[in-house]
Amino acid sequence: MSWNLRLAIFIFSLGLFIIIIGFLRSKKIPIKYALVWILSSIILFFVALTPSFSSGIANRIGFEVLSNLVVAIFLILLLYITLVLTMIVSDQRKKMILLIQEISLLKQKVKEVEIHEKKS
Amino acid sequence: MNKIILIIPAYNEEETILKTIEKIKSFNQKSKIIYDYLVINDGSTDATEDILTRNGVPHITLIHNLGIGGAVQTGYKYALENYYDIAVQFDGDGQHDVKSIEFLLKPIINNTADMTIGSRFILKEKDNFKSSLMRRCGIKLISLVIKLKTKKTILDTTSGFRAVNRNIIESFSEDYPTEYPEPISTVYALKKGYRIEEIPAKMHSREGGTSSITSWKSIYYMINVILSILIIERSKER
Repeated sequence: MSWNLRLAIFIFSLGLFIIIIGFLRSKKIPIKYALVWILSSIILFFVALTPSFSSGIANRIGFEVLSNLVVAIFLILLLYITLVLTMIVSDQRKKMILLIQEISLLKQKVKEVEIHEKKS
Repeated sequence: MNKIILIIPAYNEEETILKTIEKIKSFNQKSKIIYDYLVINDGSTDATEDILTRNGVPHITLIHNLGIGGAVQTGYKYALENYYDIAVQFDGDGQHDVKSIEFLLKPIINNTADMTIGSRFILKEKDNFKSSLMRRCGIKLISLVIKLKTKKTILDTTSGFRAVNRNIIESFSEDYPTEYPEPISTVYALKKGYRIEEIPAKMHSREGGTSSITSWKSIYYMINVILSILIIERSKER
């Protein structure tokens, strides 16, 4: 792997790591959602740090070039993240429906009570 | 005496909702059984809310549009909280006939069924309801899938005209499909071992508004419905 690419990956993974930690600190994302991103940045960092070792692993798996393994790992991670996000969205949809229903039922009840009070 | 409530979901039905309510009112005046009714205004953007309030129609306005499933479930929750014995799902657009309700109620009152579905296909005369060939094929296909899944025959799988007893009110309040509710809720009920009976019911062509199933969406609808039915878990069984 060329020094240029190593340097680029190095900077990118470090940047990703710092951004995620920043998000965590400012409580923009909870730790459970951040974990997979932290893992991604660590993998990248590791690859840039140990190119010959990582290349060995890549070759053993069947990748001819290390960069292909990196791309493949990220593709899988992204797929996983998307899947988790879909699950989170579905869960939130369910909760939202429940909230809308319960609030609407309550609002109607309150209105009824108000009308009743006005009459008496 | 059974406490009966008509759940009337309405989304932008300003032209027809009052007519539907008037029909129920005039039926109640002549009839021995009184049907309570509750319009679920599914976050309409037209004057539906205004019309309902001005005319003193009992209604719940959803603070945001939920779609027919979420709206109807709100009605079931209301029915549960207010101790109704039977809930009837009744369309606000004038498709369903008030006089047919008693036929839907009979098997439930006699306890020979837990749920009844007003069916367009049991009656031989088909002059009342016209639907496209495509749509009828779709309904038949869903029917076939339900038969495969539950071994029960339901002819009119997309009918939104149905009556359910207290047990199903409870069940639907807890768990009701928000997507494609008519066929899916039928499968839910069948899987839980409830008895469903189809009753011939007259249905008029819509008096206003547009059907929630438009033609270009129908293939997408079919795929979704069939997949949803097929994946309904075994845990739904009692």
